[in-house]
Amino acid sequence: MATDSCLSPQLKPEGAHTPTSEASVIDASLRTPLTLLITSALLWLLVASVLGVVAAWQLHTPAFFNACEYVTYGRIQPAQSSVLIYGWGFNAAFAVSLWLMARLSRGVLPGFGALLLGTVFWNVGVAVGLVGILSGFSSSIAGLDMPGFALPLLWVAYALIAAWTFVVFRDGRSQQLFASQWYLFVALLAFPWIYSIAQVMLVLVPVRGTVQSVIQAWFSGNLFLLWFASIALAAIYYFLPKLLLKPVAHYNLASTGFWWILVFGSWAGLARLLGGPVPAWVQTFGAAASFMLLVPLVIFGLNFVGTLSGSWGSLKNSYPLRFIAFGVVALMLVLLSMVADATHGFAALTQFTYFTAAEVQLGLYGFFTMVIFGSLYVIVPRVFATAWANDALTGVHFVASAIGVVLLVGSLAVGGIQQGLQLADASIAFSAVTTATLPYLFSASVGCVLLAIGQLAFAINFFWTLANASACCVRSVKDLLAAQPEATR
Amino acid sequence: MNRAPYLFLGIFLALALSFVGLVLSNQISYGDFSTHIDEDEGKAFPLPAAGLAAQGKLVYQDLGCVSCHTQQVRREGFGSDVGEKSRGWGERQSVARDYIRETHVLLGSQRVGPDLRNFAARKNANGTDHTAASLYAYLYHPQAVVKESNMPAYAYLFKTQPIIGQGSAKALKLPAALGYEVVPSPRAEALVAYLLSLKDTYAYPETKNVYTPPAPKAVKSKESHK
Repeated sequence: MATDSCLSPQLKPEGAHTPTSEASVIDASLRTPLTLLITSALLWLLVASVLGVVAAWQLHTPAFFNACEYVTYGRIQPAQSSVLIYGWGFNAAFAVSLWLMARLSRGVLPGFGALLLGTVFWNVGVAVGLVGILSGFSSSIAGLDMPGFALPLLWVAYALIAAWTFVVFRDGRSQQLFASQWYLFVALLAFPWIYSIAQVMLVLVPVRGTVQSVIQAWFSGNLFLLWFASIALAAIYYFLPKLLLKPVAHYNLASTGFWWILVFGSWAGLARLLGGPVPAWVQTFGAAASFMLLVPLVIFGLNFVGTLSGSWGSLKNSYPLRFIAFGVVALMLVLLSMVADATHGFAALTQFTYFTAAEVQLGLYGFFTMVIFGSLYVIVPRVFATAWANDALTGVHFVASAIGVVLLVGSLAVGGIQQGLQLADASIAFSAVTTATLPYLFSASVGCVLLAIGQLAFAINFFWTLANASACCVRSVKDLLAAQPEATR
Repeated sequence: MNRAPYLFLGIFLALALSFVGLVLSNQISYGDFSTHIDEDEGKAFPLPAAGLAAQGKLVYQDLGCVSCHTQQVRREGFGSDVGEKSRGWGERQSVARDYIRETHVLLGSQRVGPDLRNFAARKNANGTDHTAASLYAYLYHPQAVVKESNMPAYAYLFKTQPIIGQGSAKALKLPAALGYEVVPSPRAEALVAYLLSLKDTYAYPETKNVYTPPAPKAVKSKESHK
């Protein structure tokens, strides 16, 4: 497991010199909020993996869990996606972004009362949303499935949590701005914007007709590129050079990639409306913006694969690096599929098939979640000042997650293309198309089971480490109390 | 790029551009799109949904049907939705005006099951019209009707009750236990009323002119549908 010794100060990506004592003061200031954020993220991840296995199983075995309406596929599926996005994704993103920003700006978190309150509100909001979806109050908006009454709570909680990332930046002693910080700022500023607009224009006072569909596509496209991808990119820009002990290759291109993905990426979600009942220019602009993602695809390739090249051997002895390298490959594939979706032929083939589900899973699991796992493997030992409890569990986590993602995404993608080809041929009956997808759906659900096993291993390892860390604390307090009478004497 | 204010300004401008360019412009350009008044028929299309069907839409939403069913018929060149040698999922492609009466537009993104936009205007697999009875039977136990279906059963939308007197007229034709019958609950009735109201057959001026299909033979097939 990586230790602080591999984070030699002169090799910090931004070139700033951080004395170890300052880093440990920063880490100590983050200990309590990060405990709560990571704990809740992991608990939600376990809930999401159970729901994910159930939903995946129902697709090929419709009689599985169909006795009552609370567990019907139409409710489990949006519940799973909401818990994965808002329960796991956001809590974990808050934790990683706070730590990255504090370390990069060299700022100490001044207090955590409001932050803890915000985290509690956030998790209550997600729980209300989950119960709401399962009992039939879903908004039926992909990416924003939670019922209207859960949404304002999340908004307030977000403000209470995200503000602290700006506080540590303002209080920080570093004048430099590193690529990770650009992406963190995009994520933290974009989310309240897109979320408020979606909440007002889709849920509170829904706009008329298919303008709703445009806003939905705009929201979910930006939720992925400007929130999830930005947080994960910030983590890659920080951890890749640190773990490899070398600067980011072609770093001078990073700012071009950043502005490009910000300007064109924020238009790219519309490509999924190709052929739909929305104005033709919207479809054209969406497709053009998606096609433009070719530029950041090349730049990220130069930056990340360039940094990794020549150091592939380091992957052997570093699990964090393996997770992050896996995420880099997944990022390339996600961007490539978005570019491909901009072309009429490919979009017409894959639209409405399992291929689009594969793209979503590749983005959320293959890219974002894997990068966050890698980041947490570095962050947790530093924040809790203790090594990971069990390296075998880390190994299980990596192997199960990697195979799980490949199996899940691979079978949905291949099955989806086959489904698209068969749907386009009207001579094949719809029921025959369904039958032909069953083997793929089965292997996808095996992938979900593997993912769940990996995530369980990770959660056990984390709580074990947490127990070790708190045992240390308790011991030192006991020592202190035991020493106290001697000192007074 | 070491100045935070410029970075914030840049992010703000990019987000504002995206919002104005995509959200606001669409809201301004067709956010107040109105019905088409057909003077020959003396009606405003699309027609408003009947009360029971409007309730059924809420059931459709609450059970998450949108997870597996789209409600948009794509133009020719996209899959086999319309035209000759198609699945005949619609008589024409869906247009923006079809949706203006809906508070929540459920276009959907997955076709695990067939598209439902024009469901009521289509035929069953065996060539007959969809009826309330055929839909009840399907919702109650899909695999009994279409063996390959992977739709979950919605048996909880029905209740099994003892037959009193002549029994309910709505009872499903099932080999139920002696003295019992299966009848749809009000939610099932509303859902079925909604499904039977899904019909986009009216040809608006824009469905004839705006989307010109690419191939000349496709134009012919569209003419034949008018």
